[in-house]
Amino acid sequence: MRYAAVLLMFALALGTAFLAAPDPSSPEQAPGTEEPPVAICPVFEVGNQSTSISVLSSINGVGRLSTFAAGEETGSLEFRTGVSGAVAIAAGEAGGVGINGALVEMPSETTAAASVMSGAGSLAAESCADIPTGQAFISGGSTVRGSEFQIQLINPYAGEANVELTVTSEAGIESDDRFNSVIVPALSSRTLDLSQIIPGRERISANIEMTRGSVLAFGRLATEGEVALWRAVAPGEDWWLPVPRGAGTKQMLIATPEAGEIGYQVDLYGPEGLVETHAEGVIEPHGNVVIPLAAVTTEAAGVRVITTGPVVSALRIDSAEGLAWTTGSQVTAPVWLMPGARSPQGGSGSVVVLNAGIETVTVSIRALSDETIVRDLEVNAEEVLVTNLRGAANGYRIEATGPVVALWTSQRDGAGSAAIGIPLQDE
Amino acid sequence: MAARMSQTTPQVADADTTDDTVHAPRVRILVTAVADADLGAALAVVRRQVYEPSPEVVVVGQNLDLDNGVSTAPNLEEAIRTTDSSIDYLWILHADGRPRPDALAALISEIERNEASLAGSKLLKAGTMDELESVGGATDVFGEPYSGLDEGEIDLQQYDVVREVAFVQSASMLVRRDLAQGLRGLDPLLPPVAAGLDFSQRTRLAGGKVISVPSSEVYHQARCGERGRGWREQAGRLRAMLTAYTPLTLLWVIPYDFLVSIMDSIASLLLLRWRPLVRHALSWAWNAYHLPSTIRQRRRLRLVRSEGDEELFRFHAKGSIRLRAIGEEVSGRALSIFDDDQALARGSRRIWGSPGIWGAMVAALLGLFSAWSLVITGMPNTGFSFPLEAPTVALERWFAGWNDSGLGTSAAVHPSVGLTGLLSLLWFGAEGAARTLMTVGAVVVGVVGVGRLAGRIGLRGPGRYLAGLVVIAGPGTAILVGRGSWLALLAAAVLPWAVRSAFVHPHEFGRSRFTYAGWALLWGTVLAALSPLLALAPLVTVVVWRLLGGDRSGWFLAASSLGGGVVGLAFLLDDPAWVTDASRRLDVTVGDLWPIAILVAAVPLLFNDSRLRTLGLTGGLIGLGSIAAGTLLPLAPGPQEALLIYASFGAALVVAAGLDNLSRNVFRLVAAVGAVAILVMSVGSLLNGRLGLPSGDSNQRLSFAVTLAGSEGPGRILHAAADRDLIPGEATAGPGFWYRVLDGTGTTHDEIWLPPAQDGDELLQAALVEISSGVELRPGARLGSFAIDWVVLEGPEFVLDDALLAQLDLVPTPLDPDSRVYENGESVPVAGTADDPWQRSGTGYSGERVNNEVPLAVNYDESWEPDGIHQDWSIAVDGSAGRAWYDSTGDDLALPIASLVVVVGGLVMIGLGRRRA
Repeated sequence: MRYAAVLLMFALALGTAFLAAPDPSSPEQAPGTEEPPVAICPVFEVGNQSTSISVLSSINGVGRLSTFAAGEETGSLEFRTGVSGAVAIAAGEAGGVGINGALVEMPSETTAAASVMSGAGSLAAESCADIPTGQAFISGGSTVRGSEFQIQLINPYAGEANVELTVTSEAGIESDDRFNSVIVPALSSRTLDLSQIIPGRERISANIEMTRGSVLAFGRLATEGEVALWRAVAPGEDWWLPVPRGAGTKQMLIATPEAGEIGYQVDLYGPEGLVETHAEGVIEPHGNVVIPLAAVTTEAAGVRVITTGPVVSALRIDSAEGLAWTTGSQVTAPVWLMPGARSPQGGSGSVVVLNAGIETVTVSIRALSDETIVRDLEVNAEEVLVTNLRGAANGYRIEATGPVVALWTSQRDGAGSAAIGIPLQDE
Repeated sequence: MAARMSQTTPQVADADTTDDTVHAPRVRILVTAVADADLGAALAVVRRQVYEPSPEVVVVGQNLDLDNGVSTAPNLEEAIRTTDSSIDYLWILHADGRPRPDALAALISEIERNEASLAGSKLLKAGTMDELESVGGATDVFGEPYSGLDEGEIDLQQYDVVREVAFVQSASMLVRRDLAQGLRGLDPLLPPVAAGLDFSQRTRLAGGKVISVPSSEVYHQARCGERGRGWREQAGRLRAMLTAYTPLTLLWVIPYDFLVSIMDSIASLLLLRWRPLVRHALSWAWNAYHLPSTIRQRRRLRLVRSEGDEELFRFHAKGSIRLRAIGEEVSGRALSIFDDDQALARGSRRIWGSPGIWGAMVAALLGLFSAWSLVITGMPNTGFSFPLEAPTVALERWFAGWNDSGLGTSAAVHPSVGLTGLLSLLWFGAEGAARTLMTVGAVVVGVVGVGRLAGRIGLRGPGRYLAGLVVIAGPGTAILVGRGSWLALLAAAVLPWAVRSAFVHPHEFGRSRFTYAGWALLWGTVLAALSPLLALAPLVTVVVWRLLGGDRSGWFLAASSLGGGVVGLAFLLDDPAWVTDASRRLDVTVGDLWPIAILVAAVPLLFNDSRLRTLGLTGGLIGLGSIAAGTLLPLAPGPQEALLIYASFGAALVVAAGLDNLSRNVFRLVAAVGAVAILVMSVGSLLNGRLGLPSGDSNQRLSFAVTLAGSEGPGRILHAAADRDLIPGEATAGPGFWYRVLDGTGTTHDEIWLPPAQDGDELLQAALVEISSGVELRPGARLGSFAIDWVVLEGPEFVLDDALLAQLDLVPTPLDPDSRVYENGESVPVAGTADDPWQRSGTGYSGERVNNEVPLAVNYDESWEPDGIHQDWSIAVDGSAGRAWYDSTGDDLALPIASLVVVVGGLVMIGLGRRRA
């Protein structure tokens, strides 16, 4: 028995040395990350300006609009999108006062929202943002005489956010303590008035990096009473922009937050069809280039920007019909939601659809109102469709048989707005 | 005795035949009747006294039926009072005393020569070979007698000098008649020793001298009392003290004596003696009852008092004799733990000749040194080591009370909760000190346990004690302890004792088997309380030992030890997954060197004598088998824990055998090298100053929950991490991370183990899945329904960190630099409502009485009272009583009661066995 015991001991020792132990216990598989169906919108309820939040959904569902400021929820109301799937709510009804933010809890995931600001002689619209990214970039600000440029940092969340801003202008990288470690308290909105901090700059870009927490950034430019509103977005290498018809200043701005040179190529979808490499060149580190469009055509057009590094592409329209800024889209999609798109009372509105594909597509334009109106239009390959918006809809839904990019504009009394639509990749 | 008496030479009588006899003092002998004493024999012996003039004999007692010619008196006071002035001395003699014929003459001679007032005889125990009972004695300030005699000390005339003493016993004392009349004799309420003390003290205060006269020998049958023991004697001493001392002395002596009584009682209880407590209680009660007569005694003494208390203090021993005796007993017992060679008993000069003592001292000192940080900075509160609850609460939980771990459940708590609660209770309810003491004490217990086990098997070398270090820091224990398993340390320390209880020394076969079985049952119970599955270890050890040809082990004793496992049954039955669910296993790896070292140490023992061979092979098989099973098999935490501790035990046996009595034999040398390697590796893991326990205090880190708590209390903390080891206690597998819910007031020992998931736990899991997916915008509201006030994320960032970046109601709060802390403002109180929160009270809750239902955020169980109703996953109770409690059912109580029966049964068996022995 004792020899058997010794053999057994050797066997056990060898087994311990050479046999593999069971896999370590591990937690359950982490679920895929989902984004809650929310949108964060800027609210301006100052002076003669008021904000309407338009929500557009694929279902008749219930949502909630909450406004917040100074660390507290200032108001909240429940809404229903109705049969049309779209509703517009005055931010003031939800407690929105001053310059602050609003959080829209959507009734479904296929939902979009936009802030539409209007006042005497001013009109601005921009899609609300969803979950913010760690970095956002905005370009196109100006603080030359007569222009006021503000960056609004909105933190709708429970945690305090800390933001580092890298502001560049034609003078180079701006150095000011107020751009460093900007704290945005929870449930708060903080406005950086660049007109006060760096007056006299013509082309301002701001790279916004979150070191803690999460914020959304919107730019607001006011010139001679007219206001433009556009949001900071994550930089990318591929941009699409439909361009509405009209004279005056129509420019596309391509800016980069990167510290290295970035090559770019602009393809133009104009009246003569696609003009590849309409423009190309190199963007200086932290720099930007302006591509004039009105000089090429006053008709509707489309632009595609391809770069060798991360940039943000935005469209500036400054004409007798008003001032508008909007950021381009990084994708094409068959379905676009355009919350807030409408013809304002006493004004007009239009939708611009760029068929970026190589086949003709049929575009179905659905006005979401009590009486839903649908128009089906064909858009040839690599061409742009412009059509007017009708009636008092709370938004539009664009469906195409192929990939398109959609943008809407509105004008009234010399004030105008432009806003890119919100693509739906999968419905 | 008879022979000695027959040798008596009436020298005094010869002397008394001179002319001086006309002046010889006259004596009256007062023989006090004693129940069961032969009065006739006493009188016959008295009449044989060689003394002239012949003393008059008076028998003192009630209802005496005596022959004519013998005077009687109803009591001593009467007998003294009626003595006429022609009598010079009174000899007070108990009827159970048998004086030698010259006893009286010797007393007279010495009292006259020394001009004393009171003289006592030397008392020898009747029926013995001249065993000394008293030669007078000293006392302490409390009247506690100190004879200076050893138990069973024989009279070799070593004390035969006349000397002043504090007191003499009343069994035989000669007193001047005038003094006796002045003092009115002995106090009739007092038993013999106390009466002697009292009379001696009063004599001294009256200006008299008290001497012991060893040449006057009296054989004492001690039918008059318990030789100074018993509560009456104790009460008598207290009365003597109250009678003799001045008020100023009493002012400090009484409180001091009361404190001594308390300390004596407690120390005696710790030594498993209850009688001192009862004696003290009765003593104080008796004196309270007789206080009026004590006051009368004091008044009488005042009339004759001529000396101060200082005269008494001259003969007092310093300090308390009672406490000194207890101290000596405790230290003696402590030393005897190491001394199975009886080296101490053989004399201190030979102590260091015992190899066992050497080994024990080195091992214990090394082990205790390894605990220096625990003693100085306290126990760590991390991993699986957390403070104990208040003893009463812990015992209530163990006795089928509410298990507060996680979201609460009726499942039984770990049996160690009851054991540690009991030990805390015995340590005066100071659970923190008890925990430290248990931990540090585990070193000594483990070291001594292995040494005594090996000693019982027959080993005598120093290695058997050094091997004790291996059991508490060997291959498996070190891993568990390193993860913070404080209990593994205790279980490892107890294991050798439990195994030892299944072995019997050859010289002890057939003696008090009840005692052995009782100890086996008790050790098995303690072991199972610390690690339930380890209760199998003694039986398995005996099986292996027997298979390898070992003897001295008993199947019955091993089975008895297994019977102690009943204490862990409730826990195992309520959470079978602790034994079966491999997904809860600990991720542990035993270093490659351990099996090699065990193999090197064990295999050469094959070529040694059978005793070492069997022990070495048994240890090797246990060690290697346990390491292999504990690390290679996909086992649940219960068996894994038991196997890892058992592996250390096996390694310790190998070391004990390998280091036993070294020789130049090559096999012995190789075995010793392997054993030393095991020993060194074990000691290495001990040297962090905490016996291998990790450092840290997660309760301290999470104390913000208490600091920042509102009126509703700190609620709960959701603790989550990607690394399971960062979670205090057991953790639940969540979606991409580990988590558990902790009590915001601080994690306690009972919360270490997570009970099986209930409805609330499953809902919490579902909520966490949604929250971690990022889809939940208001995680605070979801978690708030579970009374979770805080979310704490530890270690590297994981999925929950991302999810909590974009949410609305968990506020990141920089309270701890090492973790991410979120405050939840949306949580409900654990009990009650935000307006009327209830607080924890024992194992239940209490608060303002309200006329509506009071919600409790604990898993539903129908036994919650009053009128507990189901509310979703939780409970609401009727708030009119102002409290809520868990009323355990009869079924739940069955196993705790069975455990108590086992413990009591074990104690009874030990007691029975000792009586039989």
